[in-house]
Amino acid sequence: MPKNATNKKSLESRIEQLSEYSEWFYSDEFNLDEALDKYKESMRLAKGIEQDLTTLKNQVEVIGDFTKE
Amino acid sequence: MSAIDSINTSSEPTFTVAGFIAVCNQILEYSFPNVIIEGEVASFKVNQGKWVFFDLKEDEFTVNCFMPVNQLTAPISDGMKIQVRAIPKLTRWGKFSLTVQKVLPLGAGNIKKSFELLKRKLTAEGLFDPTKKRPLPSDLTKIGVISSTAAAGYRDFLKIIDNRWGGIKIFTINTLVQGISAPEQITRALDAFNQRGEVEVIVILRGGGSADDLSAFNDEQLVRAIATSRIPVLTGIGHEVDESLADLAADVRASTPSNAAEILVPDRSAMNIHLMNIKTQIQREFDHQITTVRDKIYHQMNNNFQEIQHHIDLKLQSLSETVKILHSFDPNAVLQRGYAILRSDSRTAHNFVPGETISITTHQQILTAEVTNAQKRNQ
Repeated sequence: MPKNATNKKSLESRIEQLSEYSEWFYSDEFNLDEALDKYKESMRLAKGIEQDLTTLKNQVEVIGDFTKE
Repeated sequence: MSAIDSINTSSEPTFTVAGFIAVCNQILEYSFPNVIIEGEVASFKVNQGKWVFFDLKEDEFTVNCFMPVNQLTAPISDGMKIQVRAIPKLTRWGKFSLTVQKVLPLGAGNIKKSFELLKRKLTAEGLFDPTKKRPLPSDLTKIGVISSTAAAGYRDFLKIIDNRWGGIKIFTINTLVQGISAPEQITRALDAFNQRGEVEVIVILRGGGSADDLSAFNDEQLVRAIATSRIPVLTGIGHEVDESLADLAADVRASTPSNAAEILVPDRSAMNIHLMNIKTQIQREFDHQITTVRDKIYHQMNNNFQEIQHHIDLKLQSLSETVKILHSFDPNAVLQRGYAILRSDSRTAHNFVPGETISITTHQQILTAEVTNAQKRNQ
C-alpha cells in the first residue's frame, strides 16, 4: 500500500532536512551534547528516505472526462 | 375561404413564413445541433469591429458563415483552408447560414500564417513575456494533467514519472488533444484545475503529430487561459521541433511529454546516490568530530599529567636539596670527614684547660683523654 505523501513530509523536503543535518556537523554550531542525537536522527531519516525511494508509488486519478460532454 | 385553404388538398403541413423558418431551424437543431465543416475562406470581412462574415467554399459550393469577432480564436483570411464548428441556421430572410463557434486553420501553410499573426498579436499584449514566467515548484506532491488518457504521450509521461519518483498524486482530466473541440476542452480543464486549487502544477501533454494535429494548441482562447492560469503551467506538446503558442504562454516548456516528466521530478537513482553521499558525509564528519574531541581530551589529559609530573619533580628536587642540607648537619657525616667531638663534664667545651679530662668522639671511637696543654688559637 503506497504511503500517502500528503500525510507526511515529502521525500525532497526530508532529503533537504538531511542535508541540513550534514551541514550542522560541519558548522560552528556543532557540539558534542547534541551530536549523538543529531546523528541518530539523521540515520533514521536516511533509512526512511531510502525505504520510500524504493517503495513509494504514484497515484493516478482521472477526475474528469471532458470528451464525453 | 382563404388562399391557403384553396391549395391544401391533403394533409400537407401548412405554415406561416415565420413558422416555417422556425420549424426548419428546429429540425436542423434536432438533426445537427453542431456540425464541423471544412472549406476555403472567401469574402472575409469584419463589420463594426464586432461581427465576422465569410463564405466557406468548396469548388462551386458555398455556405455563408457568421460569428462574433471575440470568438475568432485563430486569425483567418481569404484563401485559407479551415475547419469550423458551427450551428446551421435559416435566417429570417430565408438564407442558410452557419453561426460559427470555432475556427481551426488547416494545412501547414495556413496554420503557420495564422500562428504568426496570432503570435504577433499576443506578443504585443505581453502574453509571452519571459519576465512573467514562474518557476515550477520543486517539491511536488500533486500534479494536474490535461491530456488524452489514450495518448501514447500521456502513458510515456506516467511511465517516466513512476520510474523516476514516487509519492505523487496525479489528477488527470481527459480531453481531446486535437481537432476543433480540443482547445475548448483543454481550456475548461485548465479552469477546473484552477478552481479546485489543489494541484501545484498543471501539465498539458500531447505526443507528436502533424501541424494539423497540433494546431489546437495555437488557439487564442487556450493560449490566454494558459497565460492567466493561477497555477504554473508546464507544456509537453509534440516533439522538440514543434513550437505552439501554448508553449510560448506556458511558464515552462518541455520538448516532449517524457521531458515534462523529467523536468517535474528528480531521478530516484540519482537521489539514492545523493542520499548515500550525505550519509557518508554525516558519518565521516561525526567520526571526525568525535575523534577530534577525543584527541583534544587526550591532549589535555597529557598536558595535565605532564604538569603534575613537573610539579612532583620540582618537589622532589627541593626535597633532595633539603635532605642534602640536612645531611650536612648530621654529626656523623662530620665525624666521617675526620672531625671529632670533644665533651667535658665540668664546663663548656669551648675553653678546655690543662689537666682536664675530656671525652673525644670520632667516627669510629669514643675516647677519654686528659688535656695537657691549651692555647688560644688565632683565627
